[in-house]
Amino acid sequence: MARIYNKIVKGNPGVERFFLGNEAIVRGGLESGLDVYTFYPGTPSSEVGEIFLEIFRDVGMKWVESSINEKVAIEVAGAAYARGATVMVGMKNVGLNVASDPLLALATTRPKNSNSALVIFVADDPQQHSSAVEMDSRNYLKLFKVPALEPSNPQECLEFTKRAFKISRELKLPVVLRTVTMVSHARSNVVIGEIKRSEIADDFDLSREVNVASRLYFLELKEDQIYSRMNQALEMSENSSLNRIENEDVKNEYELGIITSGVSYSYVREALDFLELKAPILKIGFINPLPEKLIASFLKRFKQIFVVEENDPYLETQVMAIAQKNGLNLKIYGKDPFSYSKETSLLPFVGELNPTKISLALIKITHIAPKIDLNQIEGKKYKILGRKPILCPGCPHRTTGYALQKAITKIKSKTGKEIYFYQDIGCYTLLAFPPISFANVKYCMGSSIALAQGVAQTNGSLNIAIIGDGTFFHSGIPALLNGIYNKAPILVLILDNGWIGMTGQQPHPGSDTRYYKEGNFKKGINLEEFLRGTGAYVSVIRHDEGNEKEYTARLKELIYEKGLDVLEKQNLHVIVVKDECIQEYIKRHKVRVRHIDVELCNNCGLCYSQFLCPAIYEKDDVAYINSSLCLGCGICEEICPNNAINREEL
Amino acid sequence: MTFDSYTIVITGLGGQGLISLLQILGNALMTNGYKVITAETHGLSQRGGRVTCFLRFGNRLSAPIPMIGSTDMIIATEKSCILDVLKYAKPNKSTKLIISTDEKKIINEDYPSEKYLLSVLHENSDNIYFVPATEIAENLVKNQKAANTVIMGYILRFLPLREEDLEESLKRQFSGENLDINLKALKEGHKLQLDLKLYNF
Ligand SMILES: Cc1ncc(C[n+]2csc(CCOP(=O)(O)OP(=O)(O)O)c2C)c(N)n1
Ligand code: SF4
Ligand code: SF4
Repeated sequence: MARIYNKIVKGNPGVERFFLGNEAIVRGGLESGLDVYTFYPGTPSSEVGEIFLEIFRDVGMKWVESSINEKVAIEVAGAAYARGATVMVGMKNVGLNVASDPLLALATTRPKNSNSALVIFVADDPQQHSSAVEMDSRNYLKLFKVPALEPSNPQECLEFTKRAFKISRELKLPVVLRTVTMVSHARSNVVIGEIKRSEIADDFDLSREVNVASRLYFLELKEDQIYSRMNQALEMSENSSLNRIENEDVKNEYELGIITSGVSYSYVREALDFLELKAPILKIGFINPLPEKLIASFLKRFKQIFVVEENDPYLETQVMAIAQKNGLNLKIYGKDPFSYSKETSLLPFVGELNPTKISLALIKITHIAPKIDLNQIEGKKYKILGRKPILCPGCPHRTTGYALQKAITKIKSKTGKEIYFYQDIGCYTLLAFPPISFANVKYCMGSSIALAQGVAQTNGSLNIAIIGDGTFFHSGIPALLNGIYNKAPILVLILDNGWIGMTGQQPHPGSDTRYYKEGNFKKGINLEEFLRGTGAYVSVIRHDEGNEKEYTARLKELIYEKGLDVLEKQNLHVIVVKDECIQEYIKRHKVRVRHIDVELCNNCGLCYSQFLCPAIYEKDDVAYINSSLCLGCGICEEICPNNAINREEL
Repeated sequence: MTFDSYTIVITGLGGQGLISLLQILGNALMTNGYKVITAETHGLSQRGGRVTCFLRFGNRLSAPIPMIGSTDMIIATEKSCILDVLKYAKPNKSTKLIISTDEKKIINEDYPSEKYLLSVLHENSDNIYFVPATEIAENLVKNQKAANTVIMGYILRFLPLREEDLEESLKRQFSGENLDINLKALKEGHKLQLDLKLYNF
């Protein structure tokens, strides 16, 4: 606790810190007099919210919450903004899809209070390092018509955050701060500035300017948004130091200039150094609205332009349009956006960029012979082990997967029916990988329960939705109510591990924060009572103190029984599996590491090749437990048929 | 040795503490006046999947990801993982390869043989160093999680840092028993002789 506070909050202006991009964003918020931060966790954006949640009471901010989902986060933030607060809301790229409905209206409003400022922090994840899909959130900027800034490194994260608040306060428009994984999760030297206390005025007026309920006002406000506020934003963008030309005066024989933004800018510099090529670079930090005049005057100086950006050709298509409008005839290289052709695009739509990809593209444009043969290096292939991500040792989902596998084998052999699985987004998604392979369909957060209904309503198979507690609260509830009301014969497994595990154990409305994080401030909503109120058939199974005995066997029987009931009686059943995320559990309990008695182990392999706990491995024909990895869940002890696994005495 | 611009690739498995390693080294380098940048990926990959991180430092700020064929040092905290990042080694074979002898096998897949591994490593570098970091950590402090700190101690000889710099940095990261374990592991790693003669080349 104190460590985070000391690192982020303490320190005099001018001091250098080794900050994660996201930590720099927190600091930028504090230096802008932030009152409120609302968020929904999602990699690579989560650290910002986690830090604020931890420090906000001590730094005197008004309110911070990990909201139930992104839509609610942006609504809470939007009203606080309207009421005169300095507000930031954070999420990952796909979170913006969930938040988009209220945001469209919110972006149009024009708060009266001079202090009102709203920054929407959105972190994209090219290469989907930790995402189910790859999505370029910049495409929303044209829809929402709001200013947007894109930093390229942690220092810029701090500075751009402060700029974003300034712009929002001045224009009365929400401003998007867009990062990508390699910026949010880069760590670098950051020089800090001065923290400002919030100056929120207590009188406010939720009047016409922020009220878009009426059709009358909406069009009027929309006109104002586009022709007045965005027009001013354009003026700012044209004159902003965030858009700058680097190597202004250098010349190259190819008459080539480069336009880029964000982290791609740093890769461009690296590639130019590698090729010993000199070229002016227009680095765009103010990515919406684009500075048309500045870009046109830059284009005029070249015969060839290379636009470098990750994922979608957001800049490139606009640069093309600007060239056309200004009657400029020059070659624009990039993704050849209208061709949908891999052959003609020099940079990919898909995946992350890096200096090597950019060098290879520059070689195609300039025919420079590089110092080293990149294609030859890329061409060398080695035997690489296909490592899949795995659940933590002691993860409750592994136990559920194991019991589920046993239960469905039994159901299949009894009924001969097909069984389909609808996965949701969370750590349990990893059950989709072999050998367990519980996934037939998966879309996005909260979709499993409805997906199961789509098949169950039209086919006599057994359809099982697997959803985590975090995801259930986020967006699973409407789908469940839909299923109950429409009498969908499905089995819903809610894997209640108490937290939003995948993104780092943040709380959700069912989390009891008594022992952790938010202390006594929040009491979890009782999921069981809530579900009983819906009229569904509900069973709850617990794996906690006093409920350890034959847990796996009981879980298997329960799934078997309810699965049959769904098939036979066409009921909707919900099973809540209450088993805490081991990463949180060990914060409150002593880890009781297990050991294998090599005398009793006959190397049946059940624990390391079927149950697949990563703490267990085979060596010299016996199984061993790595005591540095074991987190003491005890399930291996239960399932070992030879009673060879024992616990360490306390 | 000049450190105008120095790049280290660190590869291993999620959950091995690579991010702490970056933080500790990066912090110490920053304190010594360098511009440092690290790139990490959090999330899914934190659990057993292969993870590759970069740490770059020098007189000016680099990009978070380097060019292939151009880095100064590659560290693999699990042996087979080195194969995935050899493209970052310089074609002139000067890149230092620091490889933990730790093997994490996977069910139903053949682990690369010693012979294969050594032959491709020799194709890529003349500076190959194997460190039995996990064993050392286990024997020394009964905790394999300190293996990275052993490696950190080992590579100190190649970096413009003193042991005290890393000690300071460790103190910022850990406390209590964890700190003691890591301070010990650092010393031990630093003490190791350069060529541990683990293999007959
Ligand atoms: C719309 C959206 N917001 C955020 C995320 C990031 N995210 C991935 S999984 C997850 C929730 C996981 O929580 P839970 O369902 O409780 O499962 P657990 O990981 O705890 O097993 C979140 C928030 C996302 N994928 N989509
Ligand atoms: S070794 Fe056994 S007790 Fe330890 S984490 Fe794995 S399954 Fe649980
Ligand atoms: S974070 Fe928690 S829920 Fe996720 S894999 Fe680890 S133990 Fe399981």
